[in-house]
Amino acid sequence: MDRWTEKLSEYLDETLTQGEREALDAHLATCRECSETLDELRRVVDRARGLDDRPPSKDLWSGIATRIGSGTAVVSVDRARTASPARSARRLSFSIPQALAAGILLMAVSSGAVWMSLRDHQTPVLQPSPDSIDIPAVWQKVDASVDPVVDSLRKAVKENGPNLDTSTVRIVEKNLAIIDSAIAEARRALNADPNNNYLNHHLADVVRRRADLLRRVSTLGVRT
Amino acid sequence: MLPILLAVMLQTPAPSPNPAPRVRHVRPPKVVVRVDGGDDDTQYKANVDTTVAVTRGARLDLNNFGGDITVKVWDKSAVRISADNSDRERVDIDVDQQVVTVRTSSRYGAPHMVSFDLTVPAWMALDLEGTYTDITATGIASDITATTVQGDVDVTGGSGHISLNSTSGSVKLAKAQGRIDIVTVNDGITVSDTKGDLSAETTNGDVELTGIDADNVSATTINGDITYDGTIKDAGHYSFSTNNGDVSVSVPQTANVAVTASTFNGDFDPCFPITMTGSHKHRFTFTLGTGSAKLEMESFGGDLKICRPGEVGKHHNGRNSNKEKDEDNE
Repeated sequence: MDRWTEKLSEYLDETLTQGEREALDAHLATCRECSETLDELRRVVDRARGLDDRPPSKDLWSGIATRIGSGTAVVSVDRARTASPARSARRLSFSIPQALAAGILLMAVSSGAVWMSLRDHQTPVLQPSPDSIDIPAVWQKVDASVDPVVDSLRKAVKENGPNLDTSTVRIVEKNLAIIDSAIAEARRALNADPNNNYLNHHLADVVRRRADLLRRVSTLGVRT
Repeated sequence: MLPILLAVMLQTPAPSPNPAPRVRHVRPPKVVVRVDGGDDDTQYKANVDTTVAVTRGARLDLNNFGGDITVKVWDKSAVRISADNSDRERVDIDVDQQVVTVRTSSRYGAPHMVSFDLTVPAWMALDLEGTYTDITATGIASDITATTVQGDVDVTGGSGHISLNSTSGSVKLAKAQGRIDIVTVNDGITVSDTKGDLSAETTNGDVELTGIDADNVSATTINGDITYDGTIKDAGHYSFSTNNGDVSVSVPQTANVAVTASTFNGDFDPCFPITMTGSHKHRFTFTLGTGSAKLEMESFGGDLKICRPGEVGKHHNGRNSNKEKDEDNE
């Protein structure tokens, strides 16, 4: 993320100084990628305004928050602007990859059995996979958040293996390999172009798809 | 705000503005018709073929371990259940005014293959599930849920909420209307002549959507092509994404749409003249008309094409068409 995108959330929150705002306005007039990122952030905020603000369960949230950690602030949503006056003001900021990772995590752990296993899961010492060593730092942080969940899902799938026949297992493994290959491709591309908005979103999407497939397969035997 | 942010990101597509109403009934005292059952071994009977009367609004719930499920319609308020089971399998049928439940079990150990032919009223909602099961339904005018692990799903008709799932099998849907969710993993998705918001997702297969009339369409695959030939409506949202494949989309001449096309290793190739409003690295943007609708096309490794309705097929080379799937069958 460059110095401009780092300021987009504050721009939306109208907390920039007059000089910073004018400088960013001038940059936005010439940078389509930043303008598109700003539009995307606006859409997220607009959609958020239409939703109830219901806090998640304490256990769920503490686990996710631990795995996200703190990092570069890009997306910032000022709750005070959207909440009723009776609510207290609270503001949390997350980078785009972090926010996407949070989505991946929450989706992945929505399976009750998997989540139960995660609750007792000790956060491991991270061993970056070979294709993640050179990716931008923010994505290494995302990996730190997502990898334990993916490991747990893989474990759940492995434990579910006896409920699946060999041809189903083979097909699942083949499709996981396809997704892993796509993740590796995206990471290599992102390493060469770390500020590319499309690549960041694309990587987040294929990572989510892997978690989604694992979650789906982990429940196949249960359902059938 | 983070809970809200998460909810936004995980939010499923909005329901269709005008989904078909679900019929609700006050639950009456249950009347059970056990066509074939009991623990007595003498109750096992081969080739069940029976017809039960049903009340309008009842749904069919069939769970079959293995064997095909074929459903067609007639104009009677009754369900005919025909199974090709041997006397080693038992077919239990429970009927009440809300649901007709059909289950199979085996005299010895794991259930065996039983194929079903069912004839139902067109208004009857279907909930069909199997493991090694091909599912075919024709003529239904109500909700349909069809889920299989290894098998194809082929539905013609459906109205309301239509949810079709397979793990290793193709999914085909035609002449449906309502809110449509389709997921498979290791095969393609084909949807035609269908009206309503549509979500289609596979990992290893093509997605082909033709004759679609929808405000919101989302199609994703990892290894496959995506073809869309349908409406682009004002304020609509159309999203097509693949990792390794081409994306071909038709855009009517009168469409008001803001287009974002992103590809890392491929080309963007419009079939008609356009004026770019932005071109940054691997992303192209342009606006047609007022730009009311949003169209997003993404392929990491393939080409992106925009053509006029009816032309996308001519320019679609289908280079990835089920290549990996074919290898499975070898």
